[in-house]
Amino acid sequence: MTLSLRQIPRPLLLGGLLIGASLVLAVFPATFAPYDPVAMDYNALMHAPSWAHPMGTDNFGRDVLSRVIHAYTIDMQIAFFGTIFSFSFGIVIGALVGYAGGLADTIFGRIVDAVITFPFLVLVIAIVSVLGPGLVNMYVALAVVGWVFYARIIAAEVKVQKRLDYADAGRAMGYTPMRVIFRHLLPNAITPAIVYLVTDMALAILLGSSLGYLGLGAQPPTAEWGVQIADGKNFMTTGWWISVFPGVAIVLTGLGFSLIGDGLAEVLRTRK
Amino acid sequence: MTPALQVRHLSTTFGHHGTPVTAVDDISFDVMPGEVLGLVGESGSGKSVTLRSIMRLMPHHSAVTGSVLWQGCDLMTMTEAELRRVRGGEISMIFQEPGTALNPVLPVRVQIEENLRAHTELSAAGRAARCLELMDLVGIPDAKRRLTQYPHQFSGGMRQRVMIAIALASNPKLLLADEPTTALDVTIQDQILKLILDLRDELAMSVVFVTHDLGVVAATCDRMAVMYAGRIVESGPVPAVFAQPNHAYTRGLLGSVPRSGTERSPLLSIEGTPPGLTSRPAGCAFHPRCAFATDLCRRESPALQDRAAGQAAACFHSDRVIAAGLAGS
Repeated sequence: MTLSLRQIPRPLLLGGLLIGASLVLAVFPATFAPYDPVAMDYNALMHAPSWAHPMGTDNFGRDVLSRVIHAYTIDMQIAFFGTIFSFSFGIVIGALVGYAGGLADTIFGRIVDAVITFPFLVLVIAIVSVLGPGLVNMYVALAVVGWVFYARIIAAEVKVQKRLDYADAGRAMGYTPMRVIFRHLLPNAITPAIVYLVTDMALAILLGSSLGYLGLGAQPPTAEWGVQIADGKNFMTTGWWISVFPGVAIVLTGLGFSLIGDGLAEVLRTRK
Repeated sequence: MTPALQVRHLSTTFGHHGTPVTAVDDISFDVMPGEVLGLVGESGSGKSVTLRSIMRLMPHHSAVTGSVLWQGCDLMTMTEAELRRVRGGEISMIFQEPGTALNPVLPVRVQIEENLRAHTELSAAGRAARCLELMDLVGIPDAKRRLTQYPHQFSGGMRQRVMIAIALASNPKLLLADEPTTALDVTIQDQILKLILDLRDELAMSVVFVTHDLGVVAATCDRMAVMYAGRIVESGPVPAVFAQPNHAYTRGLLGSVPRSGTERSPLLSIEGTPPGLTSRPAGCAFHPRCAFATDLCRRESPALQDRAAGQAAACFHSDRVIAAGLAGS
């Protein structure tokens, strides 16, 4: 069961390092950030990267590096809260639907069709615009749309698992359907959903940044990468660093989650 | 003595694209307390479906009719809650593939304890003690360590022992065994059979043994029922049936197995293959493969009739079958 360090796939190791570092920055931003993320310095407007400001300053004289570091707190939160509700809700619905089959499965299939017909981002934006902008409403919107994907994965897997003898054995032992579903089938079906969860965290960060950019997620002056990129978009020719460094942070974090997802899939596949 | 289990007119049909097909066709049998009944037949004869129908484990798109009386209660009309008390508590079941019948992601201890939790009032300490006791009972050494392991860390025979330990956790009065040794090596097979028989004596339970292996039947069963195309074609005490089959199919089955102590003779084989679920012939389902078949067999389906020596057979020509005797004897 235990893997030695050498057996850990490269992607998992690299992804783990990236996300580990991100988590440290997210939990202790003040320790690493050289300046206050919202403090404006009118003597240093739009300074190019220098020793004093490694990532330069923006049009209000705020230190870009400090803002990028403080944004980790928000964006890692988005990665977590943007996925965990979809995941929890999705696996429960998926397990129930997969086990019940029949009419429940047909209805569920239509719901899935209805959701995946719309582009994901459009649907989320529609919901956020109804609920009003802000992080909490963004989490709500992500959960409302996202659970379908987890439910679909789990339902398919449970449909396979419930035909195996151990499911029948569980029923033959007189266990309740709920017990068979959540104690026996779900743990056996959950692997692909966990792999998807990690990949989905990367997507959540991208989406959170996109919504931040569009003004529907985190609100200025909060330091959030999407917001920062939006702040810098008018200065692309004169102050590229305002947008580019938050963009790099997005790429690195997204890459980290994707690598973990890939590595995890590899480990779990070989174990089977 | 009253039977522990009485199966009466049990039929199981599947909806098959509109036309229902019958997998189990009006079968009745008794299991006495402490008795081992062998349910014998080729693949597709409906043996496993019979067991699963008794436990009401069939999928929703199948229809089961008839009655299964267990200690005076009909399992077929019980509520789900009542049924759950019987399943695993009073009647347990073990499966052909111990590898797939155990949950791969839970340690063995959790899986045994789960049954105890569902059917007994034991405390946590009581359950832990009972787990160790069960591991000893089914002959798994080093029980304490083995309990923490996962099914994939056990060999095939050991897995079947674990399965038996789970099934026996709450002292059932009836064990339904669905080809429990088919997936195992011959040497291991023997150990498992012996274990089941020992446990039968020790726990005074009845066993219904589904198998296609006549050797297993001869070694373990008190009585046997031979199934063909979803019906019981012959039943009776094992020695009597082996000595003098009353049905042409049983004769063919027994003739196809080598026997020691008799003159060397070519083995019989039954020509053809069993009919599929959707293409059951009219009359006696065995007639296309039967050397004794007459027009009567092609027209009418024979009912199971009592014969001598506690045997019963569903054959119009039992007398001719008996007269033909077993090949080579």
